[in-house]
Amino acid sequence: MLPFTYAVRNLFRDPSRLLQTVGGSALVVLLLTAAVAFNEGMDRVLSASGSPKNVMLVGKGSEESIERSEVPLAAESAAKTSIPGLASQLNTPAVSGEIIFQAPITPPSGESKQGQMRGVLPVALLVHPEVVLLEGHFPGPGEVMVGKLAPRKLGLAEEALALGEMLVIGEQEFRISGRFAAPGTVLESEFWLDRNDLATLMQRDSLSAVYVRLSDGEPEDVEVFAFQRNDLELSSIREDIYYDKLSRFYGPIKGMTWLTAALVAAGALFGGINTLYAAFASRIREMATLQAIGYTRGALLVSLIQESLLATLTGTLLAMVAALLLLEGRTIAFSMGAFELSLSPAVVLTGLVTGALLGTVGTLPPAIRTLAPALPKALRSN
Amino acid sequence: MTPFIDINQLSKTYQKGKTSVTPLEKLSLSVPKGEFLALMGPSGSGKTTLLNLVAGIDTPTTGQLIIDGQDIAGLSRAALAKWRSRHVGYIFQLYHLVPILSAFENVELPLLLSKMSRRERKAKVESALELVGLAERSGHRPSELSGGQEQRVAIARAIVHNPGLLVADEPTGDLDRESADNILRLLRELSREHEKTIVMVTHDPKAAAAADRCLHLEKGQLVDEPEPATFVA
Repeated sequence: MLPFTYAVRNLFRDPSRLLQTVGGSALVVLLLTAAVAFNEGMDRVLSASGSPKNVMLVGKGSEESIERSEVPLAAESAAKTSIPGLASQLNTPAVSGEIIFQAPITPPSGESKQGQMRGVLPVALLVHPEVVLLEGHFPGPGEVMVGKLAPRKLGLAEEALALGEMLVIGEQEFRISGRFAAPGTVLESEFWLDRNDLATLMQRDSLSAVYVRLSDGEPEDVEVFAFQRNDLELSSIREDIYYDKLSRFYGPIKGMTWLTAALVAAGALFGGINTLYAAFASRIREMATLQAIGYTRGALLVSLIQESLLATLTGTLLAMVAALLLLEGRTIAFSMGAFELSLSPAVVLTGLVTGALLGTVGTLPPAIRTLAPALPKALRSN
Repeated sequence: MTPFIDINQLSKTYQKGKTSVTPLEKLSLSVPKGEFLALMGPSGSGKTTLLNLVAGIDTPTTGQLIIDGQDIAGLSRAALAKWRSRHVGYIFQLYHLVPILSAFENVELPLLLSKMSRRERKAKVESALELVGLAERSGHRPSELSGGQEQRVAIARAIVHNPGLLVADEPTGDLDRESADNILRLLRELSREHEKTIVMVTHDPKAAAAADRCLHLEKGQLVDEPEPATFVA
């Protein structure tokens, strides 16, 4: 085998080629890492948002969009009394009628942007146990409680929506009464208001959904309730299934993310292979000389791959540092809410495998072409 | 006495498109151990093909090619590579040194193919560089050496693993007269004092005169064996 130092020194034979290879592989790895982090983040937030213990009662025909759903107010009290096996706390059954609405929100400084609002009563905390109050208090009339990622959804820094600040929703002002977290769920980018306030603001006398949290009851019990109360025109759907369906709705967006990353990566890969073709072509005679000395093609192929791997793994390292600086913790807003990008082990592994594949698979065609010519001919090449 | 190189009815045919070319046809030749043999002939006469076959970097189409008692005609590519690493030193017209390696590291290359300690390698490389008169330039890269010095490094690389056979393809073709004479003197010394069998292809009659014997090839056949001119070292 050729010494490893031979591969290391060859890297610096042509600094511009080294720069191209390192830069190209860094770009490919960064893009694929971003694509994986994006899709993983979206999947994570949508899958974490739904609990299998929660069943949603929505208006018939609105199973795929809660915002279009209309549920009569009477459904909430009927659910409390009719559904067996409900979770409860201090004899309060975990049944929460909620209004979900997208409306323009104007922050104290800045322009108006669409935000997701949820009109709730305190019982909502029983069906959304992942919600934790970070500071302040639950919103009363004229107040709004802000999710931890909600400022990012409006394009603002977290501290821009501090307690006591006023938000204009619709044409009415609301004072920020509290901040809450709901780690990893879409709730974390919502604005929670008093349900009656939101009903007045939106001039509606119906709910969007009634959330039911089960203790020892079965989702089928809720389904039977919806079926029996035909007059309320309800459908029941498990909350995790609802978000799973939403996740599928975002499939094309995720597909486009992959496609874009793959196209740019393919471009960079072919560019890199082309650079290697040129670089290795100038070394055909050197490779033939080493063969004449007694080195096998396999040993030389390993050396060429080592050389490329060094460059692509350096690019991968740079890409990982860039991802750490640019991607880690960055909040991405989408129509349902927002999620944070995270360099999870799977994301890092994707980056490393991509870098390694670029260095090996990308090197094979130009390396084989360099080592393929018959020795007598290769020794005479310029 | 068994010849070091024993060639019987050796032919080489290449396929060039739809036509086949035979640069070497039914050639027979014997070279005793320690002989310095020069091969001359016009372009396309088959001398480089013969050199490549003897060096084991090409394989014959038919015939027998025995080097130091071993028939290498039927060896596989990998076996030939191994054989070359032990038995052959190749000297090229354009030196073919690896530009990113120092003289020492270039000479060390053949030794990295055998199991040898770093200390042993160092001793052998220093000895080879000493023999070619370049011990003090071992740390220099090829770009920092003259053509004659590069060829000396190439010769050190060819002899460092102590092969029985040296093949040289126009070793003085790219050198000025003085450097060429120095290289030829070195090759004669290797042949006479170190018993290396040398096969050298050359167009230069003065270079051929340094050899013990000169063979002429034309159209893949040996034509005559004129007495070599006297080499004045």
